[in-house]
Amino acid sequence: MGLKSDLVTALFFARKDTGKNLRVFALIILAIAFATANIIIINGFMDGFSNSLVDATLDISSGHINIYPKENDRYVEGLGIKELKLDGMENVAAYSSRLYSSGTLSYNGKTKTIKIVALDPEKEHGVTKILEKIEEGGELTKENEILISYRLAEDLRARAGEEATLVFENGVSKTYRIKGIIRIGATDLDENGVIMYMNEANNALGLSGKASIIMIKLSKRELAEEYRDFLKKELGVSKVKVWSEEIEAITGFMNTVKKMTDTVIAVGLFAAAVSVGVIIYVNVIYRRRQIGIMKAVGMKSSLIFTVYLMEALLLAGVGVAAGDALGYIGTKYLETRPFYCPIIKEYISAKFYTYLLYDASIVSTAAVVVAGMYPALIASRTNIIKAIWGT
Amino acid sequence: MKIIETRNLKKTYTLGKVEVNALNGVNASVEEGEFVAIMGPSGSGKSTFLNMVGMLDVPTSGKIYLNSTEITKMDEHKRVEYRLRNIGFVFQFFNLFIELTALENVMFPMMLSGHPFYKERAVELLEIVGLKARINHLPSELSGGEQQRVTIARALANQPKLLLTDEPTANLDTRTAKEIMELFIRLNKEQRQTIIVVTHNPELGAQADRIIHFRDGRVVEE
Repeated sequence: MGLKSDLVTALFFARKDTGKNLRVFALIILAIAFATANIIIINGFMDGFSNSLVDATLDISSGHINIYPKENDRYVEGLGIKELKLDGMENVAAYSSRLYSSGTLSYNGKTKTIKIVALDPEKEHGVTKILEKIEEGGELTKENEILISYRLAEDLRARAGEEATLVFENGVSKTYRIKGIIRIGATDLDENGVIMYMNEANNALGLSGKASIIMIKLSKRELAEEYRDFLKKELGVSKVKVWSEEIEAITGFMNTVKKMTDTVIAVGLFAAAVSVGVIIYVNVIYRRRQIGIMKAVGMKSSLIFTVYLMEALLLAGVGVAAGDALGYIGTKYLETRPFYCPIIKEYISAKFYTYLLYDASIVSTAAVVVAGMYPALIASRTNIIKAIWGT
Repeated sequence: MKIIETRNLKKTYTLGKVEVNALNGVNASVEEGEFVAIMGPSGSGKSTFLNMVGMLDVPTSGKIYLNSTEITKMDEHKRVEYRLRNIGFVFQFFNLFIELTALENVMFPMMLSGHPFYKERAVELLEIVGLKARINHLPSELSGGEQQRVTIARALANQPKLLLTDEPTANLDTRTAKEIMELFIRLNKEQRQTIIVVTHNPELGAQADRIIHFRDGRVVEE
C-alpha cells in the first residue's frame, strides 16, 4: 500500500461520501462560504475605514514629516532658512508652516475663545486639504480675511462676508472679514478654529518668521522614516515626527476596533467550523458499520482518518473558493458604494486587497480541517467487531 | 498443507462485571483448498472463532498460524496489511458500501492494495459471480442475492488465501441461498479457494468437505 494509492483511495471515498447528500453538502458549503466572505468583507471594510481615517488625518493636520520646536521652545526658529533649504531638497514635494495661537473672536455682541491656525494658503494647498473644506464663502485672498469653523459661526451667528473682531493672546485687537466658513472634520478645529494668513498672525503677535510646525510632504510617504534623520541634520532640528507617529492614536483606535471585528469573525468561523465538525461527526456515527467494513476489508486506521480529514478538506476547498468569490464581489461592491462617516466628515468605502483572499482562505481552511479532525479520529478508532455486529 | 491452525485459542469478554469465555481452548486446523463449515448453536463461539482467524480480533491467549505464520503477535499495521492480502470476508448483512456501485465496491480492496489493474480485475470478478450486467448499479438497486454476490466478488478481489463467511445465506430466500451455495462450491472446486463458512444452514453444511461443531467455546466434533 503506497502513499499514492492510499491518497487516491482516500480521495475516492471522500468524494463519494461528500457527494452522497448534496443538500447537506450545499448547506456546509454555504456556512463555510459565508464565514470566509465575512472575513474578507469585514477586513476589507476595516482596511478601507482605516485608510480613510489615516488619509483624512494626513489631509487635515499632518505632513509626511512634521518639524516641531525644540524642547521648551514655543516656535521653530529660523523659518526662512529652513524653508529655503526645503525648496531645493530632493523628494520634498511641498511644505507648509503653521503658527498656532489663541485668542477671542467677537461678533454682534458675542465673544468666543478661538484657536488660531495661521498659514500660507498657497503652501498649505500643497500639503493638506484643509482649505478645500469651505462650506460657505470663499478662500483667503487678503491678509485681513479669516476663515472660521462652522460651529463658531453657529455660536456667533456670523455669516461669510461679515466682519468680526479678533483679540490675539498678546491683547492686540483687529477687525477681520469672515471670508468663509469651514467644516474640517477635526473636532478641535471644527469647534473654534480660525484660519488666517501666517504673516498677519506673526505681525499681530509681534513675531517674525516663527512657526509652530513645519509640515513636509514627500514624493512618497514611505520615504518618511528614511528622511527623518536626514532632515534633522540638514535643518538642524531635533523634534521630528513622521506621519505614522502622528496617527498613533488612530492606529490604536483601529487596533481596538480590529480586535472587536476579529472576535465577530472568530465567532462566525467557529460556528461554521463546528457545523462542519458536527455534520462529519454525525456522518461518522451513521456510517459506523461501513467504517467497520472498511477496516475489516483492510483499510488502515490512518487511511480512514485521512478519508474524513480529506472530506473536511474537500468541503473547505469548495466552501472557501465560494467564500473567496463572494467576499471579492461583496468587497468590490462596497468599494463602489462608499458611505458618509460623520466622525471624519469623509466618505468611507471598503478596500479590496489580494492578501485578504489569502488570509481568509488559510484561516477558514485551517478552522474547517481542525473541526474535521475529531470526527476523523473517532472514525479511525472504530472497533471493527462492535461496528459490524452493532454491539 | 495447513492454511490455518489454532492452538489452545481462548477469548474472554468482559460484560460489565461478568467474564464470558467465548472461546475455551480451541484447537482446529484447515487444509489449503478445503471447504469447511463451522456449525453450532448460537453463542457457541463460531463467529468469535471466525473473527480471530480473520484477524478482526485478538485472542486472550493461544496461537493462530495462517500459512505457517503466527498472526497473533502481529502489530495493528501488519495485521491490516496481512488481512488485506490474505483474507476475504463475506458477512451476513451483505455490508456493501452504499454510495459505491457494484464495480466500485469490488475495486475497493484492490485500490487499497495498489493493484495496477483494479478496474479490469473487478469486472472479471463480477463476471465470475454472474453480475457483469449490473456493474454500475448501486447496492440499493440490487436484490439481496445480487448484493451477496458483489460481497463475494469483493472478498475475492486480492486473491485471498482464505475466504471467511459468516451466515452468508441467512438473509436470502431458499432459491437465492442455493445459488450462493453453488457459487461457493464452484469457487472451491474450480479455483481451489479455501473457504470457512459459519452457518446454521444444514444444506450448506452438507456441501462442505468437513464440518467443525462448536459448543460452549469448544470444538466438540469434527
